[in-house]
Amino acid sequence: MNSMQRRLNKKMDILLERENSGPLKKKNLNRALRRALQNKLALVGLGIFLSIIILCFFAPLFTKYDPLKINIRASLQSPSAAHIFGTDTIGRDIFSRILYGGRLSILIGFGSAIGASFLGVVLGAWAGYRGGWFDFLMLRTSELFLFFPQIILCLLLVTMVGQSVGNLLGIFIFTGWCGIFRMTRARMLSLREEEYVQALKVLGVPEPIICYKHVLPNALGPVFVNITLSTAIFILQEAALSFMGLGVPLEIATWGNILNVANNLNILKVNWWIWLPVGTMISLFVLSINFIGDGLRDSTDPSQQG
Amino acid sequence: MKRTTGLLIILIATCALVFGAGAKEQVTQTVQIEEEVTQMGPLNSNPLSDVRVRQAIAYAIDMDAIIEGLLPGAVAADSLTPNNEWKVAGLEAYSYNPGKAKQLLKDAGWDSAKVLDLVYYYGDQQTVDLMATVQAYLADVGIKVVPRKLEGDLNSQLWVAPKDPVNGTSAVAWDLAYAGLAVVSQYEYYNRFLSGAATNSHTPGNAELDALLDAVNKTNKVAEQKEYFGKIQQFENKYLPIIPLYYQQLFVVESDRLTRNGAGYGNEQYAYDWKIQTWDIKPNADGRKVMKANGGPLQFFEAPFVAPAIFTSQKVLFDRLIVADGGLQNFRGQLAKEYSVSADGLTISFTMKDNIYWHDGSPITAQDVKFTWELAAKVSSVNVLFSGLFKTIVGYADFNTKKTNELSGITVKDNTVTFKFASIFPNALVALSQLPPLPQKYLGTADPLQIQQSPYWQNPIGSGPYMVKEVRMNNYCVLVPFGKYHEGRGIIDEIQLYPSGESDPNLVKNALAGQLDYGWTKSLTDANALKSVAGLKVMPYDMNYTRLIYVNKFAK
Amino acid sequence: MLTYTIRRLLIIIPMLILASFLVFLGLELMPGDAVSFMADPETLANMDPAKLDAVREQLGLNAPFLVRYLRWLSGVLKGDFGYSLTSGVPIKQIVFQTLPATIELSLAALLFSTVLGTILGIVSALRRGRMTDNVLTVAGLLGMSVPQFFIGLVSLFVFAINLGWLPIGGRLRPGYESFIDRFPHLVLPAVVLGLALTAGVMRYARSSMLDVANKDFIKTARSKGLSEWRVNFIHGFRVAMTPVAILLGLRLPTLIGGSVVIEQVFQWPGIGNEFLSAIRGQNYPLVMMIAFFMVLATMVSSFLIDLVTALLDPRVRLS
Repeated sequence: MNSMQRRLNKKMDILLERENSGPLKKKNLNRALRRALQNKLALVGLGIFLSIIILCFFAPLFTKYDPLKINIRASLQSPSAAHIFGTDTIGRDIFSRILYGGRLSILIGFGSAIGASFLGVVLGAWAGYRGGWFDFLMLRTSELFLFFPQIILCLLLVTMVGQSVGNLLGIFIFTGWCGIFRMTRARMLSLREEEYVQALKVLGVPEPIICYKHVLPNALGPVFVNITLSTAIFILQEAALSFMGLGVPLEIATWGNILNVANNLNILKVNWWIWLPVGTMISLFVLSINFIGDGLRDSTDPSQQG
Repeated sequence: MKRTTGLLIILIATCALVFGAGAKEQVTQTVQIEEEVTQMGPLNSNPLSDVRVRQAIAYAIDMDAIIEGLLPGAVAADSLTPNNEWKVAGLEAYSYNPGKAKQLLKDAGWDSAKVLDLVYYYGDQQTVDLMATVQAYLADVGIKVVPRKLEGDLNSQLWVAPKDPVNGTSAVAWDLAYAGLAVVSQYEYYNRFLSGAATNSHTPGNAELDALLDAVNKTNKVAEQKEYFGKIQQFENKYLPIIPLYYQQLFVVESDRLTRNGAGYGNEQYAYDWKIQTWDIKPNADGRKVMKANGGPLQFFEAPFVAPAIFTSQKVLFDRLIVADGGLQNFRGQLAKEYSVSADGLTISFTMKDNIYWHDGSPITAQDVKFTWELAAKVSSVNVLFSGLFKTIVGYADFNTKKTNELSGITVKDNTVTFKFASIFPNALVALSQLPPLPQKYLGTADPLQIQQSPYWQNPIGSGPYMVKEVRMNNYCVLVPFGKYHEGRGIIDEIQLYPSGESDPNLVKNALAGQLDYGWTKSLTDANALKSVAGLKVMPYDMNYTRLIYVNKFAK
Repeated sequence: MLTYTIRRLLIIIPMLILASFLVFLGLELMPGDAVSFMADPETLANMDPAKLDAVREQLGLNAPFLVRYLRWLSGVLKGDFGYSLTSGVPIKQIVFQTLPATIELSLAALLFSTVLGTILGIVSALRRGRMTDNVLTVAGLLGMSVPQFFIGLVSLFVFAINLGWLPIGGRLRPGYESFIDRFPHLVLPAVVLGLALTAGVMRYARSSMLDVANKDFIKTARSKGLSEWRVNFIHGFRVAMTPVAILLGLRLPTLIGGSVVIEQVFQWPGIGNEFLSAIRGQNYPLVMMIAFFMVLATMVSSFLIDLVTALLDPRVRLS
């Protein structure tokens, strides 16, 4: 790309900003943010969310126990000053397991959500922008994916590729991109008809540059809402797969795997401290994400306001 | 799940067996092994081929603590052989001794950077916890282990023997494999270590062990068998080709309402003389005696060729020629009035009772017996107990290659059926007490290669004390007494079976809800959960079932 | 309408063929061939290789890939879905045995979530911004946030084991004759499965109710002097239901997926339970065929929902 084009790019961007969204857009954004902050639920959600993130990612500050350190002679101890959530069947400190396990669960949730969104956005932007056979093909593929119940597809793939954190992440990304793909594509379809796009084309700016640099940023709004909501879904899905024994290998601590012991009715009955804290933790975390997502959606999508 | 439990069932034996009534006191005695052993270095480039490393592993794991904390009720193992009368005294227990383990590793020049691959195939939480525990104990003495659950085709990952059975190189990837071994006899425990044994993926051939195994395989005198097996145990104890962990029991669960009226208990995985027709249960409010149990059909009644009596339905719908006691050793006639074994052990003949009928009322004949074994010889997958039997029957080779249409070694004359063997099959009576005769008139035209697909198994016409009254596959099945049963009509009016596979994930739920009068489980977790339930008895039964870690000693 | 139907059909049929191809491809990619799963590993090691080959030949495993696919597809079209590996039972039989239970459960969950979700959504809309609305919103989000199996296990423990109000699981018991007999078995699984859907329906019902409340015809109705109750429920409800119906169509995959988990918790003898045990037993033909059936079910029902929506709303037909 020569410097002339680059200059043009810049110019067009400025033009676009002024013309298309104008000064109004900025105000809009601010208003959206203000609204989100005004939404008490979203604030509460953000609070819980950040607390859990801090607890998990700075786990060594909050617990002195190694989550893997077993002490078979101190198994199934009920909560005490030493072990605030007690110990599990082989004497590991449950609080520390929840914190360290949370790291992985949150990573899986976020990683998958970001990965799936990235894939969906990249494909969706190009499909929506270019149209043609690529669009047709991708659209049909995404429809096909949507016809598969996601958990079924995950289970199928787990049996094919085996259980591991990496595989699970891959599977979640592979099965989770369709929603965001369709969303991005729909936005791009309308955006590509804008005049500035035509202008850029006439000026000979390479298509990928137009698509990803000039048009896509205008379609990204809903993506962020989607990332938060898919994180919640993926965390729940990880838990469900673990419950069926087909998630992350059982020896690796994740929230789902820790909660998996609730399968044992005896533990469900007697050792409430093994499943209740982690069950609450998952629910709280997902709930906080849903609060935030809800707030974001309310503030970005006027049709949903009540 | 089916395949992992399948792995256990398959390890069923081919020889006479004896179960000990109780655990014997073990005299712990320091055996003079250490000096000899410490002089032994590794056999090959694999450090696990050094006996000191294996001993270190055994010393490093605190099995007593693990049992106390994680596996309450299990019994620590010092050998594959459980604590019964086959066990030789004076085995080293390798009690927890991390200091000694570290010393042994130091002597062996253990490279603490090496990471061992520990594989397992059970999917339950307890196994995962155990693996984490073993990992932690080994880490304490400086052995790095990473547990890995096997998926997919287990056979090709676990039991492929190397081409060269002495010098390797290993045909499997793992270093350590946690597994269970359920057998009918001692032979099945140890024949797998023969050099070149089909499933020996772990132990390089050893002339001393081969000689001992060869000797024991050639004798049918119990005293000699015991002597040789004792020596084999000592060899095992000294060289630790495997690390024995614990002996597992089977647990029978019964509600207080049920009484067996004196009939004994046994290894519930097999058919034994439990006389269910004499069991009694407290009547319901409406006066009917209904027993609820698990082991009902999911999609079909399981054919008895692979697992002859794991399911309650298999046990009560069919009678066998002869029936064994709970320990599967003493036999009496069931469908057979009497049986006789010739002095050389090569001929066994059975005279059938006169008053025996299929559930449709037609008589059971000696020809049905012959038909059943000929069918078994053609079925694509059968229990090794049965294949061991029909392969030693006279005329099997011709029958198998389709030169003849019948197994000439089984002859029928009036109500007598005679089995002639080409060589001694020590477990013949056990096999004959497990495979029930099947009706030729219903299965005669079925495809042996896909026998389970026969419509017969949707509602089998059996020979046992109870017959199918109603079946809703996947929901329930109702059995009622068979009026013409040759040992008297059953006392319990109705047996309701809810469907379950070989291991029943819903046993505890149903028991807690009062929906279980009889069931059994091999799961310690479930057994411990059931012990606290009011109105239930949980009775352990000792069976030949050892959990262990195989050590792959072949060069990689 | 006819053109629309044909257009939808033209989209759905190639998708079906593609799905079937993917299912077959998946089957092919599974480790081991069908024969190696007919017996357990150690038995297999003891089996005669010649016998194994005979079985392979009989099962047609030695033919080229495309031939096997076409053979398989024509079998499927003729209603021959193959056999379960672990048992040899025809898959058709398994599907027919288990499908009614799953349909029963799904319909019950749908009904429960639609009724509850719509009522709560409308209540929420009418009480917009007040306490009730806020509580319902939070409750709805909470319903979506707690893992389904966790609710299932705890409710099983509380209502079936501790309180003994409802049966522990299963569907049919000896002596059951009518739906009334087995209804208690349906309650827990249907409610738990329905809970997750309720939140979505509620949100949708609420916003479309709010939407409708400002529409002219409602204003007209009010001005005609109809009572507030009638205005809200008769007019608003009818219009608000259309998007809810669409939402139900979208939720179908979630419903089917959820049934896999719920059926396991409650021993419900449905297709989801069967799917899971097939996966655990690595019974690949069964796994793949059930997955295919689930996709088929979602495709067919989404097709039907499309048609219904088009009938209800002429604008859809033209788009």
